[in-house]
Amino acid sequence: MKQVVVHPERCVGCMQCMAACAVAHSQTKQMHTAIMEAPLPKPRVHVGVGLYGEGFPNRCRHCNPAPCMPACLSGAIFRDTETATVLINPDTCINCASCAMACPYGVIRFHEDWVAPPGKTIAAKCDNCDERRAKGLIPACVEVCKSGALTYEEMAAAMKKKTDEIARSVSAAAMEESHVPAGLALLAAAKKAQLATYDH
Amino acid sequence: MEYVILGNGIAGVCAAETIRQLDGGGGITMVADETFTPYSRPMISMVLAGQVASDQLPIRSSSFYEDLQITAVLGNRVSEIDVDQKRVMIHSGPALHFDKLLIATGADPRPIKAEGMNLKNIFFMRTEAHIRNMLAAIPQTKKALVLGGGLVGFKAAYGLLQRGLDVTMLITSDYPLSMQVDATAGRLILDELRDYGLKVRVGISVEAFDGNGSVTGAHLSDGTRTSCDLVVVGKGVLPALSFVPRDKIDIDLGILVNEQMETSTAGIFAAGDVAECVDISRKTRWVNAIWPEAATQGRIAGINMAGRQVSYKGSLSRNVLRILNLDVMTMGLVNPPETPEYEVICAGEPRRRTYRKLVFRKNILTGAVLINAIEQGGIFMGLIQNEIPLNVPNSVLSQPSFNVKQLMI
Repeated sequence: MKQVVVHPERCVGCMQCMAACAVAHSQTKQMHTAIMEAPLPKPRVHVGVGLYGEGFPNRCRHCNPAPCMPACLSGAIFRDTETATVLINPDTCINCASCAMACPYGVIRFHEDWVAPPGKTIAAKCDNCDERRAKGLIPACVEVCKSGALTYEEMAAAMKKKTDEIARSVSAAAMEESHVPAGLALLAAAKKAQLATYDH
Repeated sequence: MEYVILGNGIAGVCAAETIRQLDGGGGITMVADETFTPYSRPMISMVLAGQVASDQLPIRSSSFYEDLQITAVLGNRVSEIDVDQKRVMIHSGPALHFDKLLIATGADPRPIKAEGMNLKNIFFMRTEAHIRNMLAAIPQTKKALVLGGGLVGFKAAYGLLQRGLDVTMLITSDYPLSMQVDATAGRLILDELRDYGLKVRVGISVEAFDGNGSVTGAHLSDGTRTSCDLVVVGKGVLPALSFVPRDKIDIDLGILVNEQMETSTAGIFAAGDVAECVDISRKTRWVNAIWPEAATQGRIAGINMAGRQVSYKGSLSRNVLRILNLDVMTMGLVNPPETPEYEVICAGEPRRRTYRKLVFRKNILTGAVLINAIEQGGIFMGLIQNEIPLNVPNSVLSQPSFNVKQLMI
């Protein structure tokens, strides 16, 4: 099953993911009406600033086992058996913040929400856009990310891509010509010619 | 394999679930005092305060035992453990044989030395039954006295205030939650409570109660008497281990366990409020009788009992309170000794009413107090629990802009 993969080095801090996430979790699902809703829809992904001013889209990792689950005093946090998504039931949540105390990534927030009983503050976090995915859509944050910091892929394929990226960065073809032994240079040239014939 | 679990609190429940997950065929028997469906003990204070209904207390389904093929022996307490014969004797019923035993009997409210403790309307606050009885008594009462400024006393006072009673809290320390917070946070909490109408008297305790059948007054340590018709005693808890054979199983305040949650006798484990393991931040043995510890320890014990070896580094105290207009989160060693080994960083934003106190051992976080803006406190939990040496200056953690990215180099 595909999942959201984060590539922190590509985040430029534009926060479009936050806006898209909030709209996706609004009642009206459109930006120009979402901003008029009460309670105001809130994002489940949070772009934090790093030590050098860089951005980072911080979202729930849907850990397994999830530290928030045994910490929840009311049993409101559970895992969807089909999607493995960790979810919070807004009706049984008691707003005690024990989950926030357990989450090693700090991704849980507390606010009113249209999915909760009116006037009730609840714990809210990323729900993997399960509702969108059931309709054949991809997660809202991925859909708007222009820099490729958030992608939607099979984890095995994503890891293979990363492995290839790293392999390429240390290959002979990537080194400066003067540093490459003659035999390797020949090999690199042959590989380059070979690559040109591939369809990427 | 016969597994016997003593206690159906969250430690026992998590252990049972874990064992069943890893051992589909083994026999699991649970012995417990309370007959109520496994429920969330911390939530009883919310029932007292009227924030939740008592039918929201259960944290597992009413068919929990049948669903996991657990034999439940309820309404029973343990009288003896025969370690050599591997049998548990209970108060009423046949002895139970075990291959692996988990002692998860929790802790009982600590009694106080005062005359008149047997008068009516003097309550402890530990079980859903205590709350039921309290709620039945409240309509006939007006003036409540709460003994203790710890977590139980604090929540009892808040709940009774919500129910419209005149409440006075008597504590022996200078400020409430003295085991959890430092003086600054403590004073802030005290002010908030007093603003709300709670009377708090510090440095004082009760010597005796008087009354005719029901309590009508308390005689205090300063020689005065105060009238009251309802009392809640929140003076801590003591691990329930009277039945443990001390010559076979080592105990201190709690039952001593190693990193596999196993006691000094192989095959016998302990978890939850009854167990005593090493506290990661205090670096000494300690009983951290809190819900998330019991849940985790139960799970770890279950894994080890089912035959897979897993180590638990140690426990950690932590608490989060959302009372009135104040959010307070505390964890680890909050009041370190004033030695050069510890660095304490305090920061606050008066406008946002936020306060941070961070305690470090060199570049390892070992304790934290957060007042307001508590959402990301769990990041500190992870750092303390895993004793992560920071590769950024300690002060980074005290900034309002701190988030997990700043730890990722």
